[in-house]
Amino acid sequence: MILLECREITKRFGALEALRRFSFSLEKGEILGLIGPNGSGKTTLFNVLAGIHRPDEGKVIFRGQTISGLAPHLICRQGMAKASQTVRPFREMSVLENLLVPGMYGGKLGLKQARERAEDVLNLLGLEGLGKVPSGEISLSERRQLELGRVLMTGAELLLLDEIMAGLNPTEVEGALRLLERIRREGKTIVLVEHVMQAIMKISGRIVVLNHGEKIAEGKPEEVTQNPEVIQAYLGKPYA
Amino acid sequence: MKALTGGRGVFVFIAAIAVLAAFPLLGLEGYRLRLLTLLFLWISLAGCWNFMSGYTGYIDFGPVAYFGAGAYAAAILMIRFDLPFLAGMVFSGVVCAFLSAMIGWATLRIRGAYFAIATFAAAEAMKQICLEGDRVAGFDFFGGSHGLTLPAPPASEFFYYLLLGFVVFVVGITYLLEKNKFGYGLKAIRESEQAAELSGVPTLALKIKAYVLSSSLIGCLGGIEAYWLTYIIPDDVFNVLRTIQMVIMTLLGGMGTVWGPVIGAGFLTLAGEFLGARFVYDYLTILGVVIVVVILFLPRGVMSLAKRKRG
Repeated sequence: MILLECREITKRFGALEALRRFSFSLEKGEILGLIGPNGSGKTTLFNVLAGIHRPDEGKVIFRGQTISGLAPHLICRQGMAKASQTVRPFREMSVLENLLVPGMYGGKLGLKQARERAEDVLNLLGLEGLGKVPSGEISLSERRQLELGRVLMTGAELLLLDEIMAGLNPTEVEGALRLLERIRREGKTIVLVEHVMQAIMKISGRIVVLNHGEKIAEGKPEEVTQNPEVIQAYLGKPYA
Repeated sequence: MKALTGGRGVFVFIAAIAVLAAFPLLGLEGYRLRLLTLLFLWISLAGCWNFMSGYTGYIDFGPVAYFGAGAYAAAILMIRFDLPFLAGMVFSGVVCAFLSAMIGWATLRIRGAYFAIATFAAAEAMKQICLEGDRVAGFDFFGGSHGLTLPAPPASEFFYYLLLGFVVFVVGITYLLEKNKFGYGLKAIRESEQAAELSGVPTLALKIKAYVLSSSLIGCLGGIEAYWLTYIIPDDVFNVLRTIQMVIMTLLGGMGTVWGPVIGAGFLTLAGEFLGARFVYDYLTILGVVIVVVILFLPRGVMSLAKRKRG
């Protein structure tokens, strides 16, 4: 079943075409990796999907409905949630309260249910015991996990994860991969933007490569890494 | 903060309200009664400003627009339509809800200094309408710079209890904000608007709701003051100093906290009165120094002391 479809999306910032006639579709239950050099349009694509940017041309169809042009909070409520690369938690609130907001608004839960789910999510992330700590006082890797928790709390079916593993050490990356696999098994669909190559190759069922706002390759990880254009644009020699 | 927002703070507050409610029965009257009534007015005003600006982080620099509009709405309904005060007060709230929904819809899309400037301009514009509206349109409605005179008010106790009720109401709303969905949404907007939007919070709608609630209550308070003082002129009810006072009181006590505006308004009103009586010429200097010292050493208000203790 096709969960998400992008049709010929173009997004311009002035004279710059950040995305040019970009199309792809996503099956339910997939983990799709999105790679490409800096400035290739990955984050722009995520912002278009999440409703932060409106595409200049083309449309985004989620669960059979056109969602491009909707406000981000509506897209979130329909079941597509984005975790951000630049993590900014609600600093004055505790870690638990940070999770209540997406639970009550995105996930449409009551306060009590939101609290229960927040406890579950904290356990899942291995952050139990941090619930009462002000979110301004936690470490970077904890903030990344909290950002993942925020997305999980919305109850969204499709998760857009923008570089949530950046800056983590290899052990933490391992842990994050296990976690993502587990989340997928629970029925979520994931699109992942990441520069940590080993990680994204390992977990993605399919990879899409962007360069200068255009899709230059798509396929299984082993196919993509053999593609000369991808090596030229992004991976470099070691992968050849 | 827990200590103050938790059971203890509520207990102290309820006890204080009970004592204050008993004062007039025990023979409090005259100047002291009026001073306490004024104190309740300021706590309510600062409180209303706080649950909009303190919780959403959008610094409203034109709350006085609604204070003035409310004063005029109540006065006009009572004078021109001969209706009782209660109707006037409700009308103040309705008029201000309507005005603030329009102004908020337009201005709550811009942030920081721009929002402050836009709301400030809206307040000044309303003042000009009341000042010059009659002359421009050629009718006798707002009374221009002569203002309006209202019917004679009832005894001072009426306003004492009415405004005490208002204090309870405003503090009550703010107290609920600390732990309900609406409040969490507003705080999320303050902390990171984009993260809030991405978490499913309808940020614009929530900001407008908070703004309309705050503004319509400020409007009711304007109506109450108009009836209490029986005489209003645009330069007074739309005076920017009232805005500044609401802001300073809340800043002193602590923005975005339940008790901050209560403490700040209490301190400034009472200190202003007592110092004003004792040091007639220097009291403003003394107050100024106190404000500067508090802002320097406790930039997040007196309530941050309570917070720090917890950590």
